[in-house]
Formats: sequence, structure tokens, C-alpha cells
Amino acid sequence: MEPYISVKNVSHKYPNGVTAIKDINLDIHEGEVVAILGSNGSGKTTLVKHFNGLLKPTKGEITVGTMNTKKERISKLSSRVGYVFQNPNHQTFLPSVKQELAYGCKNLKMTEEDIETRVQKAIDLFRLEDRLDDNPFDLNSSQRKEVAMASIMAVSPKVIVLDEPTTGQDHKGCKRVLELVRMFQREGHIVVLITHDMHLIGELNCRTVVMNQSEKIADDHASVVFSDKGIMEEAGLQPPQITQFANQITNLDEMKTYLTVESIIEWMKANKEEDVKVGTGS
Amino acid sequence: MNSLYMPKDSLIHSLDPRTKMLFVVFVVASSFILNDPALQLVFLVALFPLVVMAKVVKPYLISIQFLLLFAVLIMTVHGIYNPIGVTPVFEIFGGLTFKYESMVYASVMSFRILVIGTAAVLFVMTTHPSDMASALVKWKVPHSFAFILLSTFQIIPIIAREAKIVMEAQQARCLDVKGSLIQRVKNLVPMFAPLFIITFMKVHQLSYVLECRAFSRKGEKTSLRETKIGSLDYTFLLGMLGFLAFEIYLKLFMMGSLQLTTDALLTYSLFGTWIVFGFMIIKFVVKQFQGKIGGAN
Ligand SMILES: Nc1ncnc2c1ncn2[C@@H]1O[C@H](COP(=O)(O)OP(=O)(O)OP(=O)(O)O)[C@@H](O)[C@H]1O
Ligand SMILES: [Mg+2]
Repeated sequence: MEPYISVKNVSHKYPNGVTAIKDINLDIHEGEVVAILGSNGSGKTTLVKHFNGLLKPTKGEITVGTMNTKKERISKLSSRVGYVFQNPNHQTFLPSVKQELAYGCKNLKMTEEDIETRVQKAIDLFRLEDRLDDNPFDLNSSQRKEVAMASIMAVSPKVIVLDEPTTGQDHKGCKRVLELVRMFQREGHIVVLITHDMHLIGELNCRTVVMNQSEKIADDHASVVFSDKGIMEEAGLQPPQITQFANQITNLDEMKTYLTVESIIEWMKANKEEDVKVGTGS
Repeated sequence: MNSLYMPKDSLIHSLDPRTKMLFVVFVVASSFILNDPALQLVFLVALFPLVVMAKVVKPYLISIQFLLLFAVLIMTVHGIYNPIGVTPVFEIFGGLTFKYESMVYASVMSFRILVIGTAAVLFVMTTHPSDMASALVKWKVPHSFAFILLSTFQIIPIIAREAKIVMEAQQARCLDVKGSLIQRVKNLVPMFAPLFIITFMKVHQLSYVLECRAFSRKGEKTSLRETKIGSLDYTFLLGMLGFLAFEIYLKLFMMGSLQLTTDALLTYSLFGTWIVFGFMIIKFVVKQFQGKIGGAN
């Protein structure tokens, strides 16, 4: 199958001379959820800003759908690739949630009915009925983030990029993000998310790309990446606690990486009679 | 980059900020005393060695470009249309004639902008903002006022950075920033509304941070960066004083006999600014063109 986003040998050098990404190759297909991991300054944001044309590659090429990002306007690309910024204050500015939701569609010069149906869909998805007339600035930070997300989703882009969606969120907010990502996937969107939240990736159990010093050093399923000690160490990452715990129990299924509490409990139920054997791990 | 300050090791950098402030005052005064295009041109050229000494030639040339834009505009428009002109100097196509008096007027004005601009750029690029604030405090300027000045300098790059993020964030919401003029004017709202709110929040935060660090405590305050007036400063100040005296002498007693400003000089300086301006445009176009081809816009 043709990938929806295809990144070919892409490098980006900022005007100040910093090469933030180097020779990246990446294909993202329909229906995928891709997590991007890496330490601060490793080039994650720079990479995803290429997907909607905010940055153009200084070397290499990116195709989104059938469009070459170099040749398309950002506003057009943005209708295919929604980008939710880390800080919702950069994105929201209208006096009511409802106006906020309609804003992107208006920029795309859609008809009134079209806007109405799309906004209604976003309202239903995000369950925003009761907040339509609220001023986004009166909401708390996780609600405001949700409004920012909803306003991007209202345009119904194929791809949705989330830059650190759980940073600064409480437990409830994090759980909500998890729920939303799953919902986006069910609705047939491609989700690209940058995060430092290993627990979130464990729960999503998705494809994981690891960036380190401007280069892509791993690209595989989370369970494979998390069990690769070399990669994890190189990128300065630690798998979720439950995975670390599982690694210490020697008689767990060797070939499997346990990413969630549920998966361990499942194993325990299946192996009731056996004793848990704790070792130094593999 | 936190401000326009260029940390370099040079004589100009090591001068006391107060000396440099007086220098700016001196240059402004001189540019009004020497209200003759030829003398101002000499003065402008004479300032350049200081820029070289301060090792900021390249950033200086970049920032002076904008002032040059004004100079070109003033010299061209005033030279042709200013009604004080009577003596024609030369004619370009279509009966547009540059006249002597208006050219003198326009040259004085644009050279003055360049001269003052040069001094200001020199000051800002060679003076650490904190040094400027502590120098002001030594001049008995209230501490909070000096701080306001300082933080204004420092917040400009922050706002510029935020503005860039807001612009990107709005483009991600399908805002077309390359539309028609009317569209662009409309775009000011999604640009400035978030920027204003964010700046406001930042300033608000700053005030809390300051209070947490006992900003409003009464009494004497010490400064981490001390500035001191030394022999170098005195030499510099004396030099300025000497120059000032010379200028006044020139102005009072010599102006009658001295006729440096000629048609040729005016014409050449006009052409000069045009040529430099032409280069700037060519450079800009080439850059745009490369951007289109290389995709690095
Ligand atoms: N606009 C810019 N101009 C110049 N350099 C930049 C710019 N934006 C980022 N950089 C540099 O590029 C490198 C990668 O930055 P990037 O923001 O992509 O990292 P990141 O992985 O998103 O980090 P973080 O986890 O902190 O968000 C860094 O060294 C950064 O300093
Ligand atoms: Mg980032």
C-alpha cells in the first residue's frame, strides 16, 4: 500500500546553521498511530513541522497524500494534516468555543452548511455541548487543550499531529488524551504524537520512532523498541515502570515485552500455580 | 540571541555605558550642528572606523539597511517634489527634475538618519543591557525605571519568537498568510490577539518572579555587573569635547568661506544610495529565487 506520508532523505538546516534533522526516511500509512520519542532538542518538533509544510526540507522530499510539501501552500496542507501546538494559547484566540471550532473551516472558505455539519461532528466527538459559549480562556488547561484539538479536528484532516499532548496534564487529562488518540484512530485518522510519556506509548502499544541527535535511530513497534536496551540507552530513555518490572521477572514469556499492567495480570492469571521468580532481568 | 548585544572583545565594548550614552548625545548634537550634506557625509565616514573597532561590521551593515531604505525614499521623493527647490540640477525621464535646494534638504535629512542610526546601533550592539541599567542607576535614575528600560530591551526578542510561533500556529489552522492585501490585514487579528494575550501573561509572570526575588525592597541595591569610568573613557570624552568645539568653530566662523556641497556631490550621493539600494533588491530577489528552487523559504 502507498504510504500517506512519505519522508525521503530529509534534512533540515535552520537559518542559524543548526541541522535539526539529518537524512530522515519515514513512511506513514493509513490508520497508523506513530509515537515519536527522543530527548529535548533531538529534532522531533522539527520533523513533524514538515508534515504540514511549516518547514520545508532543505534536502530531500516529503509527500503527503499526493502533494509534494515544497510545492503546496501551508493552508492547503493544513487541511490534510492537522497540527495541535503544545501551548493552546498560541492557537486559540476567539471569544467562544463555538467560534473557535468554526475558524479553520472558515479559513478554508467552506459553505455555511458544511461548516455547521463539521462543527457539529467535532462537538459530538469531543462532547463539548455544554461549553459552546464559554470563552476558551476561562477553561482549565486540559479543557483548553481539548478545545484546541477539537478546533483542528473540525477541519477533519487525514493526519493529526499532537506535540506533547500530555505535558503539564493531570492524570485525568492524560487519560483523556489516550482516549482521544484511540478515538481518532477509530475514526480513521493517522495520529502522529510527540511525547515523553512512556506510559502513554505503553498503553497505546503503537509504532514508535526514536530520534536522537537529529537522526532516527529506531522505528518499530513499541514492544520491540522498549526491549532494545542499546537503543533505549543511546536515546536516554527508560521504558515504562511496568516493563522494567516485567524484565526482572525471569519466568515471564521471554519473547514478549509487557507494556501494561493488564498484560502482566493476564500472565499471572494464566500462570496461577507458578511462583513469580525475581531475577536481575535480561 | 537574547538582544541585539554582540559580546565581543573590543575597546568600544570596554567603554563605560555612560560614556557611550554621551557619545550618542554627542552624535545627535553634531548631526544638527553640521547641517550641511558634505560635512555630514564626512562625519558618517568618520564614524565607520568605530564600527570596525567594535568588530560589529557585518551586523551593523545588516541593521543599517533598513535606514538606508528611508534614505533612498527621502532623497528621491524630496529631491523631486519638495517645493523649496528652485535651481534644477538634472532631469530624469518624464520631466522629473531634481532641484538643488531640495536635494540639500533631503541629503541633510537622510544623512542625519544614517549618522544617528549608526551611533545608536553602535551603542546597542556594544553595551550589555544590564550594564546600561546599572549605569543609569549610577546617574540616579530610579532603579525601577532603569529596569523597565532593560526589560523592554529584553522582551523584544521574546515577543519576536512568540510571534513566529503564533504565526505558525495560525497557519496550522488553515490561515492563508500569503493572500491578498485585504486578507493580510484581516490576518492581523489572529496574529495579534494571541500574541497580545501571551505577552500580557509573560509580563504578569515576570512581575511575580520579580517580587519573589525581593525587587521592591527599599534601600540601596548592588549590581552584579559593575561599571567604572576609567582613563579610556576620559580620553574618549575629551576627544568628543574637542570635536564638538571644532564643529562649533567651523559652524560659526568658516561656513561662509567653506563651500563643500556641490551639485556633483549631491548627485553622486543620490546615485550612491540608488546603487546600494539596487544591490539590496538584487540580493533579495536572488534569495527569494533560491528559496523557490531550494525550497528553503
Ligand atoms: N527556529 C529555530 N531556529 C534555529 N534552531 C532551532 C529552531 N527550532 C529548533 N532549533 C534547534 O533545532 C534542534 C532541534 O529542535 P526541536 O525543537 O526539533 O527538538 P525537539 O526534539 O522538539 O525538542 P523538545 O523535546 O525540547 O521539544 C535544537 O537544537 C534546537 O535548538
Ligand atoms: Mg519539541
